Amino acid sequence: MSSAQLEIQLIASLVAIACAIPGTFLVLRKMAMISDAISHSILPGIVIGFFITQDLNSPLLILLAAVTGIITVILVEYIQKTGLVKEDTAIGLVFPALFSIGVIMIAKNANDVHLDVDAVLLGELAFAPFDRLIISGVDVGPKSLWIIGTILLITIGLLFAFFKELKVSTFDTGLAASLGFSPVAIHYGLMTVSSVTTVGAFDAVGAILVVALMIAPAATSYLLTNELKRMLIYAICFGVFSAISGYWVAHWLDASIAGSITTMLGFLFLAVYLFAPNKGVIAVLYLERQQRTEVSLLTFLLHLKNHTEERERHVNHLNEHINWQKVRSKTVLDLAHKNNMIQLDKNIVSLTEKGEDFTSQAIDYIITNQDSKIEHMKDDFFLFRG
Amino acid sequence: MDIIEYIKLVFTDYTLRTITLGTAILGAVTGMLGSFAVLRKQSLLGDAISHAALPGIAIAFLLTGAKDSNTLLLGALVSGLLGTFWIRGIISKTHLKSDTALGLILSLFFGFGMLLLTFIQKQPNANQAGLDKYLFGQAATLLESDVWMMAIVTGICLLVLLLFWKEFKILLFDADYTKTLGFNTKIIDILITSFIVLAIVLGLQTVGVVLMSSMLLAPAAAARQWTNSLSVMVFLAAIFGAFSGVFGTAVSASQNNLSTGPVIVIVASIFVLVSFIFSPTRGLLFKQIRFIKNRRDLQLHKTLAFMYNIVKSHENISHPHAIKILNNFQGYTKSTLQKLVSKNYVTLNGSMWSFTEEGFKIASNLYNQQTDNNE
Amino acid sequence: MENKIAVKVDDLTVAYNYKPVLWDIDLEIPEGVLMAIVGPNGAGKSTLIKSILGILKPIAGSVSIYDEPYEKQRQLVAYVPQKGSVDWDFPTTALDVVMMGTYGSLGWIKRPGQKEKKEALEALEKVGMLPFKNRQISQLSGGQQQRIFLARALVQNASIYFMDEPFQGVDASTEIAIINILKALRKAGKTVIVVHHDLQTVPEYFDWVTFLNVKKIATGPVKDIFNDDNLTKTYGINYKVSIQE
Repeated sequence: MSSAQLEIQLIASLVAIACAIPGTFLVLRKMAMISDAISHSILPGIVIGFFITQDLNSPLLILLAAVTGIITVILVEYIQKTGLVKEDTAIGLVFPALFSIGVIMIAKNANDVHLDVDAVLLGELAFAPFDRLIISGVDVGPKSLWIIGTILLITIGLLFAFFKELKVSTFDTGLAASLGFSPVAIHYGLMTVSSVTTVGAFDAVGAILVVALMIAPAATSYLLTNELKRMLIYAICFGVFSAISGYWVAHWLDASIAGSITTMLGFLFLAVYLFAPNKGVIAVLYLERQQRTEVSLLTFLLHLKNHTEERERHVNHLNEHINWQKVRSKTVLDLAHKNNMIQLDKNIVSLTEKGEDFTSQAIDYIITNQDSKIEHMKDDFFLFRG
Repeated sequence: MDIIEYIKLVFTDYTLRTITLGTAILGAVTGMLGSFAVLRKQSLLGDAISHAALPGIAIAFLLTGAKDSNTLLLGALVSGLLGTFWIRGIISKTHLKSDTALGLILSLFFGFGMLLLTFIQKQPNANQAGLDKYLFGQAATLLESDVWMMAIVTGICLLVLLLFWKEFKILLFDADYTKTLGFNTKIIDILITSFIVLAIVLGLQTVGVVLMSSMLLAPAAAARQWTNSLSVMVFLAAIFGAFSGVFGTAVSASQNNLSTGPVIVIVASIFVLVSFIFSPTRGLLFKQIRFIKNRRDLQLHKTLAFMYNIVKSHENISHPHAIKILNNFQGYTKSTLQKLVSKNYVTLNGSMWSFTEEGFKIASNLYNQQTDNNE
Repeated sequence: MENKIAVKVDDLTVAYNYKPVLWDIDLEIPEGVLMAIVGPNGAGKSTLIKSILGILKPIAGSVSIYDEPYEKQRQLVAYVPQKGSVDWDFPTTALDVVMMGTYGSLGWIKRPGQKEKKEALEALEKVGMLPFKNRQISQLSGGQQQRIFLARALVQNASIYFMDEPFQGVDASTEIAIINILKALRKAGKTVIVVHHDLQTVPEYFDWVTFLNVKKIATGPVKDIFNDDNLTKTYGINYKVSIQE
């Protein structure tokens, strides 16, 4: 592995971490599409900044682009406030317009600007090691590494300083306001960090990958945990894993690094989406099935408890009246029988003592919603774990 | 090139005629269907679908090696539909919210598409497939057959729209109620969504993956401001869309180096901006004017009420008072006083004012109303 | 009651995602009653009528309308959803919304004509909204919007009406107008089922009541069963309502 390769992987990993942190909060705050909007609409800011500084890595350019990002957010919120269109339409109107302005500006000045639109979408990670930062004659490493490293440090600093505020305002805006944290300040703070990170990552990995790196790791980890700290850590791990493995896939296919990192993120998400222990699709389908059986069982027991007439308790009634298919009513009957909750006498079903007991407890829970009554039932029943 | 010359050229030049017609039809159909997307709060779905179509284009090329746009668009259609259904799957089966699902599919599919595109470009026999044009659109590459394709799809779309107009409308407004009337809402829903995906895919060659969603939203958002009727809105959106297409093509054709997509989007955005500001009923400008007018009226009323308070203790309502005593009251300005005079509520005499008979009556009405409201 | 049974619910059980909301509901609603469904928040009142109407799919149980399955008798049933369930900024007029009530009998593709328009105008007249027929729906007050919804259901000319919180967020005069229409419907032999929030007005407005809290607590004539015992069973705390005679 050459040092250039190592540097590329290092840059990609830092970008992944820097994106995962604000991304987690964006996903939790249901603002994922805002990151998409920002990543597109900072383009005119970058172009104007480039006209002024003639240097893609200048801090001024980053600042200008970040301001464009904030303007986007303000513009979107202003349009939402006018009530002229729905909220999501506002996002969809603003960023294509700003992005188009950026693209046209690049096209009109193609001769002066060494920016091309492909690079905007995809970044030039492969070339990042060639643009070195040289301080008084000493080569201290690639410029992008320093830029994204600085942004990451600031982000981490802010994360530690305001973790409590971020957490409270993300999960309960009202509470945050009453505790004296301004939700508005935190909102715009987060938007600023997202914009700056987007700009910093932009030239390395391009607009679309920034969105992918912000949303995908956070969404993937959200399927595995609900706990904020763990979610952040998982998201960072997924981001770094995709960055490094993506690099090698790109190396092997001789294709875009950004594209292949995104693809790795995609596979990772797909795997977790399918196989996550509690929230994955397979687990959910299994759970739903299990739940249906349990609800059926309970309905059946409840029915027995509610009705003393023999007619209502005849086995055939299950099929005719409760409107279940034959298969399911048999499963339910067997399940209840196996658990000693019912007894059969000439096809007339009645509750055993255990069944009576169980049903009363279940009703208690259903009506009062008090968890304490069913603590011991949780082990046997998915239904009550909610 | 001046405008008249350009218009002549549109009718005589084969290429220009083709692309103008193509973008006009495209704008019309996306505007029409966009109205539904906007009203269903699915504005950003278009963005996700168009991005999700990219890997389909690349895979279709890899499989067939064809540059024929219909083959590539078929790939786009399949991959766009796949993205749409995955989004629905994510929303219904997990606790991830719709914005996360949209952002995920959008960026992941697009990234994968870019991986494939760069992979294709490095292939020796790629004959520079020109797949790049699907990013930002290149109307100049439209062929007559492409335009025919668009026209046919638009025709079918129009037919379906007219046939099922009633069903579309009621589903958009109140889905639950539609179900109780006995309509199969799933079929209507799939019909609408499929046509939206189809329209997006049709536009990819002209406007490009990145900006296609704007073609869907902007004309519809602009049209909404001018009317309160769904049919007029759909019609207007089609018109706005078509004009954006034609103007955008004209501008980008007259300049070197300009992709069609961004220019069309800018034109459509100008339509939106103008509509937001100048629409007579909903527009911001008239809203602001009404707001200021209301405030002025309020100020006038406040002054009148204040004067009434001073005057009511006097037997003679036309007893003159000094203007000075109005100074410790905030609603008073020279101009409000002038207005009261012009309305003949108050007469001015040097630095003194007094009520007229009419002014007193109006003021006492106002004052009593105010005290009533306070109770 | 010797009356016919208009709506019969058998062993209905409904679960939302992970949470069971209605358990083994048996309910018989006689023809010609004006019935309130009451219960605390989250008791499943809306869920009950939504699953009767087939909007939600129950896990178990069945619904019949005049002894036939619901699917066959759909045209006998009209529904007034909660006002908040739709987007009132939708580009359409009051008359247009009321016309939607005729779509069910028209079926697929066929467009409403003069006859349907006349029916819609009559319904608007009944709810006192005729002067507003061409008004954009977002420019109507909450009470007026509710009246439009009611008119839409009236156009359906059904035998059974299901209404989800029709008195929520409406002004006093609308409330009176609505209750008068409901009473007129009952007089005409229709059955009206209303999800209701305000316990105070139950004895005054309704003659039949169902107490619901996930399970059915009680159902019957207001004068027989609207008492502290059932209220306490339903709302869980000592709930007292003074019943005006």
